[in-house]
Amino acid sequence: MGRAPLRQKGKGRQGIDRRALLVGGGAGAGLLLAWAVWPRSYKPNLNAAPGEFVFNAFLKIDRAGQVIVIVPQLEMGQGITTLLPQILADELGADWRAIAVQSAPESPLYANTLLAREWLASDWTRIGGEAGDWALDQYATRKALMLTGGGTSVPMFHDAYRDAGAAARILLCKAAAKRWNVPWESCDIQEGLISDGGQRTLRFGDVVEAAAAFDLPEILPLRQGMEGRLAGQDLPRLDTPSKLDGSHNFAADIRLPDMVFASIRQGPIGDARLESVNEGAARSVTGFLKLVRSERWVAAVGTNWWAANKALDLADPVFMLDGPPVSDERIDAALEDAFSGSDGRRLYAQGDLLPVFEGATILASEYRVDPGLHLALEPMCATARVTDAGAEVWTATQAPGLARTAIADALGIDRASVTLYPVHAGGSFGRKMDFEAAVQAALIARDMGRPVQLLWSRLEDVIHDRPSPPAHARMAAKLGRSGVIEGWLAKVAAPCAMSQTWARIANGALPHEAAAQSADKATRLAIAGMEIPYAVSNWAIDHYPSDVYLPLGFVRGNAHLHSTFFTESFMDELAHLAQMEAMSFRIQMLGGNPRLAHCLSTAAAMGGWQGGIAGSGQGIAAHRIGDAFGAVLVEAAITGGKLMVGRMVAAVDCGDQVNPDIARQQVESGLIYGLACAMGASVPYDKAMPGRAILGRMNLPRLSDIGEITVELIRSTAKPAGATEIAAPMVAPAVANALFTVTGQRFRSLPLLSQD
Amino acid sequence: MTRFTVNDRPVQYRMDPDTPLLWALRDASNLTGTKYGCGTGDCGACTVDIDGEAVRACQVSLAQTEGRFVTTIEALSPDRGHPVQQAFAAENVSQCGYCIPGMVMAASVLLRRNNDPGDEEIDAAITNICRCGIYPRLRGAIKRAGRIMRGEEQVAAAPPPGITPEEAARTVPALRKP
Repeated sequence: MGRAPLRQKGKGRQGIDRRALLVGGGAGAGLLLAWAVWPRSYKPNLNAAPGEFVFNAFLKIDRAGQVIVIVPQLEMGQGITTLLPQILADELGADWRAIAVQSAPESPLYANTLLAREWLASDWTRIGGEAGDWALDQYATRKALMLTGGGTSVPMFHDAYRDAGAAARILLCKAAAKRWNVPWESCDIQEGLISDGGQRTLRFGDVVEAAAAFDLPEILPLRQGMEGRLAGQDLPRLDTPSKLDGSHNFAADIRLPDMVFASIRQGPIGDARLESVNEGAARSVTGFLKLVRSERWVAAVGTNWWAANKALDLADPVFMLDGPPVSDERIDAALEDAFSGSDGRRLYAQGDLLPVFEGATILASEYRVDPGLHLALEPMCATARVTDAGAEVWTATQAPGLARTAIADALGIDRASVTLYPVHAGGSFGRKMDFEAAVQAALIARDMGRPVQLLWSRLEDVIHDRPSPPAHARMAAKLGRSGVIEGWLAKVAAPCAMSQTWARIANGALPHEAAAQSADKATRLAIAGMEIPYAVSNWAIDHYPSDVYLPLGFVRGNAHLHSTFFTESFMDELAHLAQMEAMSFRIQMLGGNPRLAHCLSTAAAMGGWQGGIAGSGQGIAAHRIGDAFGAVLVEAAITGGKLMVGRMVAAVDCGDQVNPDIARQQVESGLIYGLACAMGASVPYDKAMPGRAILGRMNLPRLSDIGEITVELIRSTAKPAGATEIAAPMVAPAVANALFTVTGQRFRSLPLLSQD
Repeated sequence: MTRFTVNDRPVQYRMDPDTPLLWALRDASNLTGTKYGCGTGDCGACTVDIDGEAVRACQVSLAQTEGRFVTTIEALSPDRGHPVQQAFAAENVSQCGYCIPGMVMAASVLLRRNNDPGDEEIDAAITNICRCGIYPRLRGAIKRAGRIMRGEEQVAAAPPPGITPEEAARTVPALRKP
């Protein structure tokens, strides 16, 4: 892992916040003027060890010829630390065995403007069109908004890594050409060797120092031809070896001299304050050192984590809760009330539904989705050392710049005095967009005057998960004579988890405050994925915002998780009512969407689709997220009251994938995540607490629950899309549709079967 | 005071004898390859080998480990050369990697007893939880490890640790000695 320098170049916060206000206020003209006078280019702020030469923000090469690729994105298991280097190495012509990876320091050059556009788009930026996107890009860049999530990493950075590789190839060729006294255009690089087009070769290390000093041409020529290309090869993941022998260090594997271990309690869900704690009981534990209290949490510190956690149990902290305690009843009531409240808005409308629906037979169905837990196997954790010189924090975070700000604010120190060492995440699924543990660890470490490792217990991780949002949907449609949908209306009541997450991580809102702030704001983020890919002349989507008193968070698939369940389950109902076979029913409305149609027909052909007839146990679903398209066919049954999914067949078109096997792995991963959503990964809530917190009672799939799984990656030359998000949302509706064929019953709630 | 053997070394932990083995390994011995995922014996991320059995280290105390032989992921092989490790690399199994040490330990214990297990035996032995979804590749990888153990296949998919720059330069033409 790369280590950021202790004092990084950081922009002062004050100047930036004024712009943040402008973004929030939506003063378009003022915004453009204010930014026009800002510097437009940034230099890489990479450290170079002796013998290393910085080529650009994404690449260093050393005298031995080691190609050190800089990766700003958080590795959460989806292979980004292999994919981005592979794109660069392919364009450079490097030998894969010479590739090394370092984490990036914070810099505007690594801002994820793609996710920022998606996340922060508002009505006024959409009205602004390209100018609106430009404004968001500028905002994200100025703030050095480094973000990982939403499957944006490859689409966001693909061209940057390709260009970085091309630039380095040209510089190396120029240096070699000068030595050989030939034109640089005649040189090429293959398998890590520079050649003059004939017999002579040089290694990177032979010319690296001279190469870094050459200038680049105005236009970067990209590599031509397919010979010796690394792109499209199933190269081995760079993070594999250390993950096999236990040497891969996660945040809780950091060991520092004099370090101690902490466990934490934050009370029930909501606006909770620490009331009292029995320190005497804690002191009876061997290895217990100290209780560290804050307004909203208490941590026990010990010489080992078990002692700390046991002391905390015995200390039996008592909290006082303000405001309504979350419960299942309250969640349901809040969502139903939202439908009749005044905050709902029509966010998508095409054609005119009114005349279509008037006096017609309308088919209607209601669906619901429960909050879904992340349950990454690695609980929230961070290791921190705070001295007079500043704070150092080791943690896995999807938003490192914002985490750094939050740590500095909590400690009341300058942002430049906070060093964040990015470590890989032991799973995240969106949970590590928040960074509570990093802030808490820093505060505890300061209090202790020695390094502290804070690890949340599984119990704490479940209570204070920020689940995917619960949602209710009221779907209505009118079918035409030939089985065509003439009108489609979807009303969705759901809190906006992404708005809440942003309020927490960017604006420092407490979880219950963030939930309340977004309670009356209808937004497309909460219903992403509800825009149907099918050709329907008249359709509309309404969002009814709500606060369910359960803080919610970023998650794999985000709103698509519930949107696809609603849309694809309802599509299946309509197909049956139209007495049409469910795949053809969809494909007849996909004339304008050949890639999605191709996914559907491929999944159907590979899975031996029997038309969804009664007794077949087969179900199908399709979905699109941005430039990723997919379809899933499953075979499912209920045996002894338990959901059994015998087969899953996925056909996915995510454009041109640099490493097809990693793309397949991502799709497999999504299928299992989606299966978990169908089976469980959810808890009941009562009196501001989850009803279960033991991992074994979460109904997560284990190996014995997994049948035959087939993933077909459709070859495509389209630009690459993220493959991490597309599969998960399709599984639950496909399973629900399959269960209908064997039970005659519609499964309109997620998880599909009652958990208790 | 509890004494037993960890990775072929005799150890004595000055900790509360009720401490689960997991925390002695992680916080006292710095053997951090064994992971905490749940503390209730459900996830299997802390699986170690005790006297040839796959045991959840969060579920046995130091007192219960007295006199026994514990092997952790760090000592399964000196060079990632165990058939399970090589098969996992060859099949591109790992994703986030957090569950992997426990999975590897559970699979290695299974294969030591039966190097040609069927699906049902594999499912019964591997009850570990993975949230990333390595499951679709898991049975195949374990069977492949079995083939390696039976001498039917050779795999060298993951390089050993500690390759020096000089050794690398001898093997990879693109590299030179620093």
